[in-house]
Amino acid sequence: MNYVFHLLIYFQIYAIVALSLNLIVGYAGLLTLAHAGYYAVGAYAYAILALNLGWGFVPAALMGCLVAALLSLALSLSAWRLKGDFFVLVSLAVQALIFSTLYNWHSASAPLGSWHNLTNGPFGITGIPRPSFLGWTPSDPASFALFGGVLLAICGFITWRLTASPWGRVLVAMREDELATRGLGKNTRLLKVQVFAISSGLVAIAGALYASYVRYIDPSTASLDESILILSMVIVGGLGNFRGPIVGAAVLILLPEALRFLQLPDAQAANLRMMIYGLLLVLMMHFRPQGIAGNYRLH
Amino acid sequence: MIQVLINGLVSGAGIALLAVAFQVIYLPTRVLFIALAGTFVLAPYITLTIMSMTGSLGIGIAIALAASILITVLSEWANHGPLSRKNASAGVQLIASLGVYIVIVQTIAMIWGNGPQTLRQGLDFVSRWGDIVITGGQWFMFIIALVLLGAFATLLYSSDLGLRLRALADNPRMFAIFGYNIDRYRILAFSLGGLFAGAAGISMAYDIGFYPHAGLHAVLLAIVAVIIGGRTSFIGPIIGGLLLGIIRAQFVWHFSARWQEAVTFGLLALFLIFRPQGIISRKQRVEAE
Repeated sequence: MNYVFHLLIYFQIYAIVALSLNLIVGYAGLLTLAHAGYYAVGAYAYAILALNLGWGFVPAALMGCLVAALLSLALSLSAWRLKGDFFVLVSLAVQALIFSTLYNWHSASAPLGSWHNLTNGPFGITGIPRPSFLGWTPSDPASFALFGGVLLAICGFITWRLTASPWGRVLVAMREDELATRGLGKNTRLLKVQVFAISSGLVAIAGALYASYVRYIDPSTASLDESILILSMVIVGGLGNFRGPIVGAAVLILLPEALRFLQLPDAQAANLRMMIYGLLLVLMMHFRPQGIAGNYRLH
Repeated sequence: MIQVLINGLVSGAGIALLAVAFQVIYLPTRVLFIALAGTFVLAPYITLTIMSMTGSLGIGIAIALAASILITVLSEWANHGPLSRKNASAGVQLIASLGVYIVIVQTIAMIWGNGPQTLRQGLDFVSRWGDIVITGGQWFMFIIALVLLGAFATLLYSSDLGLRLRALADNPRMFAIFGYNIDRYRILAFSLGGLFAGAAGISMAYDIGFYPHAGLHAVLLAIVAVIIGGRTSFIGPIIGGLLLGIIRAQFVWHFSARWQEAVTFGLLALFLIFRPQGIISRKQRVEAE
């Protein structure tokens, strides 16, 4: 039973991640590979604040949101000038920068969390406290799944209201024809800053949830593989609507579990899983570019 | 000081070679071929295996280069070509290429394992003049890069084939209207890219060793070199690559190797903000973007 709850919690985390990425890829039409970076920023913010300053879940996660939203300027300001291929490359560079910052902000002599050793470099941060919320600490998987469910509901509600609002419609208009949208007097530059900030803030919440569930994080949370996994979820599930990313998160969380029944050695199984993701991306691009449940094709 | 400059120049030559491999595919076909990172690491693995079977480095390199060309041509034939005929967008091509990259790298990791490997046995020979030391690996890389880049520039600017490649890069539709078979020239572009990426992979592996995930980082550097040098030019990436190598080496010498990546991508950001067209550029219509 705990196994089912464990899967459910992973699904909740990645559903938030995929929903937030869908705002950028599906609604704003900009492909980014830096999303895992912002996810990790949220995770590290929660870990450091909760571990060193004893902050509760809500203030620490909100702080992570704020930091991630600020850092998202790196992407949104580049999106002013670039789109298409070269924007993807900039996002790859941002991803590499975040990863190398998390990996290198490390000094053996300074204590963890101090200015000289903020992230503990390649060794990561261990013993992250469980989330505490108004005196309640979910410690067993079932109550943690409840906690994650509440967070997913809040984040889902936010993205649902946003995309159904006039703001969301302007976003879609910008995706379809930026020049025309500007001609109608909409400030697309501001819109880009907003959508990246909101999306990065949401994914930072998912990062905080992940850090508080697994209780250990290292820079691999910000690795490119993670970004690819997240992007695969959105692309396989479907772009540009609410159910697509949820379907994608469910499929890509459950698919590797099916591999467990093949009884492969651990190292091989990890490689095989990544390989299936890669193959899935290629096949989707050929046969169903809008994803399983999506209604928008990348351009 | 001159030593640092030479180190930078040699590693820059490697980056330049990979950047040209990237560009020779990107300009004619408009495919951002990330899977080049897969060929880049596959080549040294095949060299290593063939070398341990036959005992000859030369045969290993030849077979590895042939395999690199085969891989890139196959992914054009089975993946990017059909997508292009469907008028797939740049984003779709990029994601499909990312998928191919993942499949190649995971296959490598399953066959040869995740650990680092070296092509070179024992100590390398070194040549010295005064204070300056150049290792055999550096010579190897520099000479390969010089020969291939020279041959490429000659092909491009003083042969009919090069002229046609440039025409394809300039305007594919017009090129097709003049009666040339686009698919054949695309395959040519991909095979040139595979050759250069394989050669870059082998020479960098000979100098510093390799592991399955090394390719993506190298390709990222190459892309930075392309943007710095000028993304509309075939020759820009060479200048960008050499410049990037020299700057990175200087930075490591004066400061620390840990923040080398930050400097690389900081440089990229500076260029994107102040000179997005790169060092070598030409005037373009706005809608050409």
